[in-house]
Amino acid sequence: MTKETMAILVNEKTKVLVQGITGKEGSKVTLQMQNYGTKVLAGVTPKKGGQEVHAVPVYNSINEALDNHPGINTSFIAVPNFAAFGAMEEAIQAKIPLINVLTEHIPIADTAKAIALARKAGVRIVGPSSIGIISPTVGKVGSIGGDDPRGVFNKGNIGVISKSGGMASEVSWILTKNGMGQSTVVGIGGDVLVGSTFADLMVDFEKDEQTKAVVLFGEIGGTYEEEAADMIKHGKFSKKVVAFISGLFAQNLPQGTKLGHAGAIIYGKKGSYKSKIESLKSAGVKIAKTPDEIPDLLK
Amino acid sequence: MQLFEFEGKELFKICGINVPKSQLITFEKLDSSSSATSTPLSTGSLRVRMTGEVVLKAQVLSGKRADAGGIVKVTKINDLRFKIKELFQRTINGEKVEKILVEEMVDIVREYYLSFSYSTETRGPVLTFGAGGTGVESKGKSKSFEVNILIGVDKEVLKHLPGELVDTAKKLWEVFIKYDCELAEINPLSLDKNGKVWALDAKVILDDDADFRREVKFEERNLFGRPPAKAEIEARKIDEGDHRGTSGSVYWDLPGDIAVMAAGGGGSVVNMDALIALGGKPANYTEHSGNPPREKLKKLTKIVLSKPNLKGCWFVGGTANFTDIYETLMGFVEGLRELKPRPAYPIVIRRGGPRDKEAFEELKRIGKEEGFDFHIYGKETPMTSTAKIMVELAYGKKQIVIPSEGK
Repeated sequence: MTKETMAILVNEKTKVLVQGITGKEGSKVTLQMQNYGTKVLAGVTPKKGGQEVHAVPVYNSINEALDNHPGINTSFIAVPNFAAFGAMEEAIQAKIPLINVLTEHIPIADTAKAIALARKAGVRIVGPSSIGIISPTVGKVGSIGGDDPRGVFNKGNIGVISKSGGMASEVSWILTKNGMGQSTVVGIGGDVLVGSTFADLMVDFEKDEQTKAVVLFGEIGGTYEEEAADMIKHGKFSKKVVAFISGLFAQNLPQGTKLGHAGAIIYGKKGSYKSKIESLKSAGVKIAKTPDEIPDLLK
Repeated sequence: MQLFEFEGKELFKICGINVPKSQLITFEKLDSSSSATSTPLSTGSLRVRMTGEVVLKAQVLSGKRADAGGIVKVTKINDLRFKIKELFQRTINGEKVEKILVEEMVDIVREYYLSFSYSTETRGPVLTFGAGGTGVESKGKSKSFEVNILIGVDKEVLKHLPGELVDTAKKLWEVFIKYDCELAEINPLSLDKNGKVWALDAKVILDDDADFRREVKFEERNLFGRPPAKAEIEARKIDEGDHRGTSGSVYWDLPGDIAVMAAGGGGSVVNMDALIALGGKPANYTEHSGNPPREKLKKLTKIVLSKPNLKGCWFVGGTANFTDIYETLMGFVEGLRELKPRPAYPIVIRRGGPRDKEAFEELKRIGKEEGFDFHIYGKETPMTSTAKIMVELAYGKKQIVIPSEGK
C-alpha cells in the first residue's frame, strides 16, 4: 500500500462535487473544504449552471459536471430535505463512489430507497445527517471541524466513527490532547437508517494500514452497535476497539421518547443502553464511562 | 407522530382495509366558567346508529389499553350510555379519555399480528407477522421478513402469509408508503367465521420528517398521555417557523434542581449521563444544536431557568463544528438578564468551537459587572469533568462516588 492511499474514504485523491453548492450550507462548506486543502472541482444546483461559488463552477446536473470534471469521485450533498432523495438518486445513478449527505430530516422512506439504490449500484452513502469525514492534514468532506479543523484534529493512527457530529469533534479533541492523532474520523449520522454503519466502516479500517485502533461513539436506539459487536465476535475485525455509549439516563423516560437524533429512540429492550454495553463487552470492546477515559483505554 | 386508533383506521379505510362499523364520541367539557366538574355532554344527544353488541374503545396512545380497562364490551344496548359515561371518567395509563370509539363487535375465530416498519438490521422496511392478540411483543413468536422498498410487497414477501391475509397485507403496505409511516400495525387482524378479514385495531406512527408532503394532517398531541408541562410546550414553540438551528424542540421537564442548557444532539445526552452519574439532579433535559440565532437561546434560557428552587445552571457542550459560540452564549446572557429574581446560584459554562475565546472574554466582563456567578471553562477542560464542578458548586463539596456503568 502506498502512502497516498492511507486513511479511509478521504485521501489526497479525493475530488469533490458539491450538490446544493449555491445554498448557504453548500457554499460555506465548500470554502471550508478548500481551506483545508480538499479539491472541490464542481458544484451542482439545478437552473443555476454557469455561476461560480468560491471560484468553483456550478452546473445544472451531475452529468454535466462529470463531463467537464471526470475526476470527481466524491459527492457532498447539502440540499433541503425535500430535495435530498432526488440529489442522492442522481449521484447514485452517476456512480459516484462516495456520497456524503449532510441534510437532516430526510423522510425515512427516501433514505431507505437511496440505501437500496446505492447497494445495487455499488456506491457508498455516508449519512444522512452526517457531519462529514476528515482525514486530518489530508482533507475533509463536509462540515466536520468547521472553519478550522487544525488543532482539534491531528494526524495519527486512531479511527473514529461517531453517530454524533459534535462528539466526533469532542472525541478527536480528547485524543489529540493526549497525543493520539486520527487516521480518519467519520460522522455516520444519528438517523434511524444510515448509509454506512459502524461495521461497514470497520471493514475499511481493518484494511487500512494507518489505523491501529478504532473508537466508536454510539447511542441508544437501533442495532448498529450490536452489529459492530457481532462483527468483532465473528473475527472480522482484529484491531482494538474502544466504545462510548450515551443515553444511560434516558432509560427511565417514556417509551417512544426521541432524544437529540432521530435514531436515538427508546423502545423496550431492543437498542437499549444495556443491550449495547453487554454485546460490546462480550465482544471484548473496552467501554469508556466518560469520553475522557478513551485515551487510557486505547493504551 | 403516533395516531389514535380511529385516525389509523381512517387511513386503513381509504386504502380498502376492512374495519368494523364504528362511531366516534368526543368528551366535551362544560365551559370553564361553570365549575371544575365536567360531564360528557355529547352522550346526552348520543344516537348510536348501531344495533347489536358493541365495544367501547378508549382513544388513548399508550399500549396495553385493554389491561388498563380501556376496552369495554356492551352486550345490552340499555347499558350503553352508562358505560360510556363511566369510561370517560377513567384514566388509562395516566392518560385521560377524551374520545371513545364505539365499534360493532365482530365474532372472531382467529387473530393475527401484521405490521410494516423499518429495521436497522436490514436497513429497509420489514413485514412482521405472527399470532395476534395482546402481549404479542412479549410472546416473541412473530417473524420479520425483509421488503425491498424498490419493489414493494411481491410474491417473495407474501408467500410467508396465509392466503386470506395477502390482500390486507398489500393494502397495509399501501398505507405504509402512501402516508410515510414509521409503523403501520394491525393487531389483532381477525378472521370471522365466514372467513372475512377485519382490522380490529390500528397502530400507526407517522414519520414527522415527511410532514411536508403528506396530504392528510393530524392535530398535535401529547406524547404518551402525560400532559406536557407548561415549560415543555413553550420550549417546543421556539423552533416553530424558524429553521435556523434547533433550540428547545426537545425538552423534558425532570424533577431535579440543576438547570441544564446542553448543546448538540449527541453531546447533550453524554453530559446528562455524566451529571446523573455524579449525583447531580437535572431539572430538565433540553438541547440546542446546529446554529440557532441568539434570540432562540434567549427564549430557551428564560424557560429553562424559570423553574423554582434551582441550585445551579450548567451550560455545556462539546467542541462545536459550526455553532457560533459567541452568539449562543450571548443569547444565554440576554435570557439571564431578564430573569426575576436574577439567578444567584452558580452557573457553570463549558463550551468550545467557533468564536469561543471572544465569548469567554465577554462573559468574564459581564459576570463581574453584573454579578453573575459564572464559572467558565473552555475546551481544555473535559466536558464531563465540569459535571463534577457543577455538582460540587450546587450541593457543596462532598465525597462523590462514581457508580459503575451499566446500572
